[in-house]
Amino acid sequence: MDKRPGPPKMADLLLRWFCRSDLLQEIQGDLLELFQRQVREYGLSGARWRYFINVLSFIRPFVLKKKRNSYQKPNIMFRHNLLLTYRSFKRHKSSFLINLIGLSTGLACTLLIYLWVSDELNVDKFHEKGPRLYQVMQNLPLADGAHTTEATPGLLAKSLIEEMPEIDDAVPAAYPMAGRGTRGLLSFKNTHIKANELYVGNNYFNVFSFTLLQGDKDQVLSDKYAVLLSEEMALKLFKTTQNVIGKTVTWDRERLKGQYHVSGIFRKPPAGSSAQFDVLFTYELYFDEYRRLHDWGNSGPCTYVVLKEGTNVGEFNEKIRGFRKLKLKASWAPSNPGEVFDNSRLDRIGTLFLQRYSDKYLYNRYENGVPTGGRILYVRLFSAIALIILVIACINFMNLSTAKASKRVKEVGLKKAIGVDRKTLIIQFLGESVLMAFLSLVLAIALVLPLLPQFNEITGKQLTFGFDTRLISVIVGATLITGLLSGSYPALYLSGFKPATVLKGKIHMSLSELWARKGLVVFQFTLSVILIVSVVVVYKQIGFVHTKNLGYNRDNIIYFAKEGKLTEGLATFLTEVKKIPGVIGAASFGHNLTGEYGGTGAVEWEGKSPDEKIQFGNLEVDHDLMGMMGFEMAEGRMFSKDFNDESSKIIFNQAAIKAMGLKDPVGKSIRLWGREKQIIGVVKDFNFESLYEEVKPCFMQCYPDMHKVLVKIEAGMEKETVARIQAFYQEYNLGLPFDYKFLDDDYQALYAAEARVALLSRYFAGIAVLLSCLGLFGLAAFTAERRLKEIGIRKILGSSVPGIIFLLSGDFTKMVITAIFIAVPLSYFITTRWLAGFAFRIDLEWWFFAGAGLLALIIAWFTVGLQTVKAAQINPSECLKDQ
Amino acid sequence: MKGTNIGEFQEIVLLAVGILYDNAYGLTIKDEIEKQTERKVTLSTIHAALNRLEDKGFLTSRLGGATRDRGGRPKRLFQVTAYGKKALEDSRAIRNSMWSLVPKIAWDNIS
Repeated sequence: MDKRPGPPKMADLLLRWFCRSDLLQEIQGDLLELFQRQVREYGLSGARWRYFINVLSFIRPFVLKKKRNSYQKPNIMFRHNLLLTYRSFKRHKSSFLINLIGLSTGLACTLLIYLWVSDELNVDKFHEKGPRLYQVMQNLPLADGAHTTEATPGLLAKSLIEEMPEIDDAVPAAYPMAGRGTRGLLSFKNTHIKANELYVGNNYFNVFSFTLLQGDKDQVLSDKYAVLLSEEMALKLFKTTQNVIGKTVTWDRERLKGQYHVSGIFRKPPAGSSAQFDVLFTYELYFDEYRRLHDWGNSGPCTYVVLKEGTNVGEFNEKIRGFRKLKLKASWAPSNPGEVFDNSRLDRIGTLFLQRYSDKYLYNRYENGVPTGGRILYVRLFSAIALIILVIACINFMNLSTAKASKRVKEVGLKKAIGVDRKTLIIQFLGESVLMAFLSLVLAIALVLPLLPQFNEITGKQLTFGFDTRLISVIVGATLITGLLSGSYPALYLSGFKPATVLKGKIHMSLSELWARKGLVVFQFTLSVILIVSVVVVYKQIGFVHTKNLGYNRDNIIYFAKEGKLTEGLATFLTEVKKIPGVIGAASFGHNLTGEYGGTGAVEWEGKSPDEKIQFGNLEVDHDLMGMMGFEMAEGRMFSKDFNDESSKIIFNQAAIKAMGLKDPVGKSIRLWGREKQIIGVVKDFNFESLYEEVKPCFMQCYPDMHKVLVKIEAGMEKETVARIQAFYQEYNLGLPFDYKFLDDDYQALYAAEARVALLSRYFAGIAVLLSCLGLFGLAAFTAERRLKEIGIRKILGSSVPGIIFLLSGDFTKMVITAIFIAVPLSYFITTRWLAGFAFRIDLEWWFFAGAGLLALIIAWFTVGLQTVKAAQINPSECLKDQ
Repeated sequence: MKGTNIGEFQEIVLLAVGILYDNAYGLTIKDEIEKQTERKVTLSTIHAALNRLEDKGFLTSRLGGATRDRGGRPKRLFQVTAYGKKALEDSRAIRNSMWSLVPKIAWDNIS
């Protein structure tokens, strides 16, 4: 190699770019020679400078590339290539099929995942004010770090509009007190319907882009007793949407029970909206009823704001951080003369920050007050899986094409000998692979269409396969890239043969080529092993979650809301329900044990230091609940009807006792909200939130008449018993619909995302492994075929069948083992990180990895074995008879 | 006479190719012209002229003679064709006959 300093690279590249290829060599040569001479004459920099000028001076018409070679007829070439492609597909049927199956499966998976991902990414993106629409979030200071909630003070929206110039608009929206997802009862004459409601500020339709079908968006919520119905609700209630404005309906919902008049009809929020509701009431109603929200010390509703154009969110966040503390102090009034504000109260008050509303769906998990992902992780995970599957399918294509190269080298040699240049050949091979990819696309679409309903069932979405321009461009783009990617290596490799050597019959098997092919197989199997390990871990963890002893028994328990006549007193109803055959017990409860619970820090105990902040969960239960649900006591007793005055008693969990540092707690007294309560027992820790969370301190109080009714049913008799309860309920409650849920369903819903991911990843991992095997199968078949003569000779010389199988599988075994060694540490790393998100998790066992590796190896052996056994049993006389 | 018309610069390039005989390629032709005419020409001008002359059929070329200085790239070596020779001869004949027609007295008043 010439080690002397050369001319500027940029100039050279430029020349290459514009210069006609048949002139390039001589011009470059002349320029270079001149350059060498000028280096001696003017020095290096002078020469380089002149070289550049010279290159530029060559930009003349005669040098410039011509658009099209006149001697090439593109139409004829295209038809010729098509014919050759067709013939090569026909000749190599097995590899054609393997490629077709592989690529179409890969594309089908990618398509499904694309549909899902784009649906996820589009949630909440349809609001017109989206770029300026934010939700106010609150970080509550707890002992173990900040806890993020969307509950904000009731007056926040109003105060923000009044005091913050950056705010364009702000609206409060409150979910029912009984909890999100619970439903109230809407009645008109004798029609009763369960409905999800939301209590919203009167500018709700100005902030959010939900469609109002009837009514004026500035007026519909101005009256305190207005109600807006969705189109479906109106149809169910009145059988029509005509002339319903002004009609009076009854709403049965605890303290908000009353008569409301219909002021408007809206279209149900689209599936792409995270906020879903059937009816809307005014926030005014809610706010006036729940007086505690008037105090800046309490939180409840969500607050949404629209910022003015050009507001810097970071700066604004700083500004509202301490807003709640300021307002609390400012609104405080001494209840006794001379009382001063207790500044330490402010330490327990949360800080505020804004999160973009359209991001909230995907980034819904927080750690110590900072968004740390959430659904976006699954979006990324599945995008990665789609990519991996597609890459594996592409690798199959590459491997088979290069392996089959020997069969096509003569074609290449001949073409080159009669003057076809390399570019034309590359185009031919790329065209072949792109054609292949598009054939696979047709098959993929044919696969996706019937699979879509099942896919929707698993993902819980309503995806449709609508051919809009965006989808088409994505599909075509992905297919084109697949085709080009999988065709690139064979195209470059095949077109690079030297005609002389090829036509002489020598096929060089260069070391690098072998390495590349082996490398690709290793890569494929590495991905497969990682997927297998991940699936096993996800599966185990989900199984662990479902079977974990939560500290209570949630099986066969149904629950429903206290409504209608039930609100007049539960005691009679509960007594009657217990008499129904098949019912084991019935109780009343205020929460659901899946993360919904009251919280307070206002617990005082002996020896508490003034700066100690412990947040307690507050669960309100009746006398029978703990026994019915199988809570276990560590010390003391449960609530019971055998004792009087249970309302002055309290039960803590072990975590709470530990946090408070109480010795011999039973019998001691504490003060809760200023009232004396005696500890009668310590319950063993149980999970009242998702397993993402550690068990927090909590206490239980006895309130016999809470707003949920729980009924435990004998196992195996669920259906009949529920029917009996329903009949009784409807008789008791005058035809109200009986709307119940199984407690376990709620629990399952907590992990619905994980369960879906587990199921989907199992399918996709299976597909990935299958595709890898398909590639290996093709490769093994090909190797066996090429070594047929060798096998024949070996057999004649006395080699045994197992010996030959061993010989043929040896190579593949080495590749797969290499892949396992690469995959194990990688998968360990990945799974450890995933599990770190759970407070209660399984331990990684060595056999997860060993098992996955062994599985990959066995699958590989099996695949290769199918081919090698066949090859090893061949009769030598058959394969050696010709030549 | 129409077909063999060549411009002044083209004539010089053709002659330079003739002078250099077996070693006429872009760079040597440029050197030769600069030596003979004492004027600077750029390499691309030479290439353009050579290309044009070859198109017209006055020159023929072959590839050969790669050197280290050229980074192993071949030279395009040019040769004057019979047609090119005729063009040169025609051009010279026109000049000669025109020269001979200029009366001697016409030069006398010019120093």
